Amino acid sequence: MIRLSLRDLWGRKLRTALTMLAIVLGVAMIAGTYVITDQIDNGFHNIFEKAAVGTDVNITRKAAFSGSDVFSSGGALPVALLDQVRAVKGVADAAGTVEASGAVVVNGKSVSTGGAPTLVFSTAPPRFSQSKYIAGAAPARDGTVAINAKLATDKHLQVGDTIGLGTEQGQQQVVISGIFDFGNSTSIGGATLVATTVADAQRWYNQEGQYSAISVAAEPGVTPDTLAARLKTALPAYAEVKTSAQSVADNTKAVSDAIGNVLRTILLAFGGVAVIVGAFIIFNAFSITVAQRIREFAMLRSLGATRRQVLASVIGEAGALGLIASLLGIAAGIGIAKGINALFHAVGADIPTSGIALAPRTIVVSLVVGIGVALLAALAPALRATRVPPVAALHEGATLPPSVVSRYSPIIAAVAAVVGGVSLAAGMFVHGTTASRLFEMGLGAVLIFVAVAMVAKHVVRPLASVIGWPAARFAGSSGRLARENATRNPARTAATAAALMIGLAVVVFVAVFAQGFKTSFVSAVDRSVNAAIVVSGQSGGTIPDAALATVRAVPGVDQAAGVYSATTQINDGSTASMTGVDPVTFGPMWRFHWLKGGSDALLGKLTGGAALVEEQFAAKYNLSKGKSFVALGQTGTKQRFTVIGEFRDPTLLTGFTVSQNAFDRLVPSNQRDPFYIIASSSADPAQTEAAVATALKAFPTAKVQTKADYTASLKKQVDQLLTLIYALLAVSVIISVFGIVNTLVLSVYERTREIGMLRAIGTTRRQMRRIVRYESVITSIIGGILGTVLGVLFAYVVSTRLASQGITFSVPWGQLVVFLIVAGFVGVIAAVLPARRAARVNILDAIHYE
Amino acid sequence: MSDVRQQGIEIVPQACERPPSTPEPVVGAPAVVVARDLTRRYGTGDAAVDALGGVSIDLARGRFTAIMGPSGSGKSTLMHVLAGLDNPTSGAVWIDGVEITALKERQLTQLRRDKVGFIFQTFNLLPMLTAKENLVLPLTIAGTKLDEAWLATLVDAVALGDRLGHRPSELSGGQQQRVAIARALVSRPVVIFADEPTGNLDSKTGDEVLGLLRRSAGEFGQTIVMVTHDARAATVADRIVFLQDGRIELDCGRMSRDEIYDTIKSLEATSERGDGGPAR
Repeated sequence: MIRLSLRDLWGRKLRTALTMLAIVLGVAMIAGTYVITDQIDNGFHNIFEKAAVGTDVNITRKAAFSGSDVFSSGGALPVALLDQVRAVKGVADAAGTVEASGAVVVNGKSVSTGGAPTLVFSTAPPRFSQSKYIAGAAPARDGTVAINAKLATDKHLQVGDTIGLGTEQGQQQVVISGIFDFGNSTSIGGATLVATTVADAQRWYNQEGQYSAISVAAEPGVTPDTLAARLKTALPAYAEVKTSAQSVADNTKAVSDAIGNVLRTILLAFGGVAVIVGAFIIFNAFSITVAQRIREFAMLRSLGATRRQVLASVIGEAGALGLIASLLGIAAGIGIAKGINALFHAVGADIPTSGIALAPRTIVVSLVVGIGVALLAALAPALRATRVPPVAALHEGATLPPSVVSRYSPIIAAVAAVVGGVSLAAGMFVHGTTASRLFEMGLGAVLIFVAVAMVAKHVVRPLASVIGWPAARFAGSSGRLARENATRNPARTAATAAALMIGLAVVVFVAVFAQGFKTSFVSAVDRSVNAAIVVSGQSGGTIPDAALATVRAVPGVDQAAGVYSATTQINDGSTASMTGVDPVTFGPMWRFHWLKGGSDALLGKLTGGAALVEEQFAAKYNLSKGKSFVALGQTGTKQRFTVIGEFRDPTLLTGFTVSQNAFDRLVPSNQRDPFYIIASSSADPAQTEAAVATALKAFPTAKVQTKADYTASLKKQVDQLLTLIYALLAVSVIISVFGIVNTLVLSVYERTREIGMLRAIGTTRRQMRRIVRYESVITSIIGGILGTVLGVLFAYVVSTRLASQGITFSVPWGQLVVFLIVAGFVGVIAAVLPARRAARVNILDAIHYE
Repeated sequence: MSDVRQQGIEIVPQACERPPSTPEPVVGAPAVVVARDLTRRYGTGDAAVDALGGVSIDLARGRFTAIMGPSGSGKSTLMHVLAGLDNPTSGAVWIDGVEITALKERQLTQLRRDKVGFIFQTFNLLPMLTAKENLVLPLTIAGTKLDEAWLATLVDAVALGDRLGHRPSELSGGQQQRVAIARALVSRPVVIFADEPTGNLDSKTGDEVLGLLRRSAGEFGQTIVMVTHDARAATVADRIVFLQDGRIELDCGRMSRDEIYDTIKSLEATSERGDGGPAR
């Protein structure tokens, strides 16, 4: 029986290939995601490992609490600690280093890193350093630096050249003393590396008298574990002592959590959508082939094959298809990963990777998903095949007995819809881990898709008659026949359209949701910021604090204020965002949306232990005016704050807002940098912007914009993200194209005799093609309409849920129309091959065709 | 050749004649379908089969012609070539004065649409269209306006008045074939080709359908060419052409069922003696 299945697959190559592609693409996305994220994880692991060579124990400052930040750190270590470390028995050598992020300026232009960081670190003695000098030497004098080989090559820099280095103290002119490779590579994942003297790094990056970390080497015979244990007892509690193996593992995990897991979850979600779309296509393909092979099954049954054997034959076919498709998908996934690597490399932001990482987990998950989906989708058609009675072999044009499933389909659909709705609601309203809530929401959405697909056959006829109206009206007989063809098997049309529906529903959801986000976020900035100029950091980073004074000194600037933000732990529980502002300068430039009778007068009372709380924060911790809460900062300081007022700002100043002084007490000095500087001006905004930009040349990471430009750039960022999401969702839409092609090819095959008759009585080839094309377009637009309706509905539900977070529901009508046109276009593309086949049907063969 | 003739003469029924050895000139012929020296060869080399071995025939306007012959005699091939569904290996066909064997695909399709009607053994109605929609399908495809009076006449003739809104699956075989006949008539083609129109029907329904075809030829002056191996069916024809081994063996006028049976039998006898195969 299995051999029969394989023969069958081989005998229908085109159909098999089309059906397979539906799985291949989805599995490829999943496999590719794992390969890429594993590569990133391994790449970072390699870097951390390489950096740790020669170091046995690593000392940093213990974080007061762990949370939001990638490398939550409690700040810096006092220089004096180094002597204490050296005094511990078993320490062969120890060195303190200072690390910070900066920017490089060559010939007056800031070096673009394509999103990768510019890491500045002080040189360490050779035994702790992985820098291999290929020219010159490590910086020995203050004012000199060494740079990594990639920067030198890219910018044609040589030893002795002068470059600018962006620091907390403004731009420094430094002379290149040497050029080095990190380990054996010219860069760490596209990052720019600058090595300075310890004294320079401390002075430039506000770390006078401090080290970021201390590297320790053990004496021969002393294991890292022993030494770490001794250091732990000898050093004060704030010192975090880790063996280098441990810190490599911790750092890898931190990066993996921050980059890999987020990226992985997002990409897997898109892969999941593609797989579900594929499932619909497999279901449809098998439903049609089973219907077409009734006589074959009946013949087998009349020859003595049991129902079980018929079931095994169809399921076996699905399994074989799933297996081959999964293997192809894994191969394609590796291809995708390589392609993305090349892409990142091409834009100069190569993520650290470590060759192709095909983990056993990747193979297992891909196979399970691919084969599982194929089997699951083919189950219902396979069960139908078993119900073919042997006598059907004798009838011409025998039809399938209605399946057990179809009798209960309204009930199943209703159950799926209800369970889906509950699951979706649970995901949105019940508290739980983000992962489990996302899973619930995803499951809910999938069930709703299934339910809609099951009942969609009932709306196919009315929808088709509306969509087909222009075709029937203006394209004459072709249009009418196409419309009739689209509705003759509503279940098939519905299932075909459902594949496109899913892809489009997600696209529409994203579009509507993004529109709401854009509207709310941008309008929040517009509403709240009462300043002409906004200075922001590069890629969401901070601006050196010293820039604030520079901005204030610019002629034309009336007032300037920094917006400082840090994470704190509230009442020894969860973390929340704390904003620090100078009420005097900040107040007039910010329009608070006061609640409960508050006014700008409250800003005058914002001193010491006073806090203004955002509505959400107040609700979460049950706070109101006069009540208090305790916040723990990374300095290890706990501070009790008393609520003096409440405001609404779900997008910008979330959490609570305190005075600059209070903020500084809770936040380590090297983290006290503003995320934004806003400045008011009574002069022309454009002129002021230019003046501020000129003044901030010394701070290459600062980006100066007028408020209008800033909001525009925010919109642009959302749009860029959208483009990326659309690109990922395009895969699902492409899969649904294959689904439509598949269905049409099968339908054309099924209707060979009709086509022959139509051609015999005078239908031209062009008319024949048109009939198929219109049917395709009608099907795809049905999918488009269903998808749009579902997408808008989902977006409405989610937006309403998130209304308190400032997300509004707003429908981008223009875009929706574009999506529907795209859906129609999908139909045109999908029809090309089947239409050609229909037009080429040999009339004579067709008339005598059985 | 000559002794075949001599032997044949004994068995040629009164209404029949041997086809002329040299065809008449085309010009001025009153025929709406004219074929000259049609050969049709399938395959190449040793596997080549000559389905038609040089057939010439003229079909006069308003006449109902039956083409008979055993399986493999080439009757279906002849009809396909005459109707422009298949291309002859050599020879030419004119329909209504147009040499269809010289036409391109597109023009041929147009000619079929405007001048030819078809009736198939398996009815070939579109399942998703109603009887009426199926009936007017050729006009719909051509984009021509419907002549309501003509439609009424047709509907009346095929006695489908109350079934017009039904889909083919709700109609009996005979009803379906009557729709198919009306469909062939609706565009008032120059000629209708019917391929075993009673092949899928029981004898009573078959007779009804044949009666309808007969009336179409009589009342509407419709030229009809019917391929059949059913002697009953052929009795309604004005002219019966017997094919054997790709050649016209006999060309007869109206015949009774018994005459047809006898003719078939004697042709089979000729064939079995092994000397009746002119195509060899």
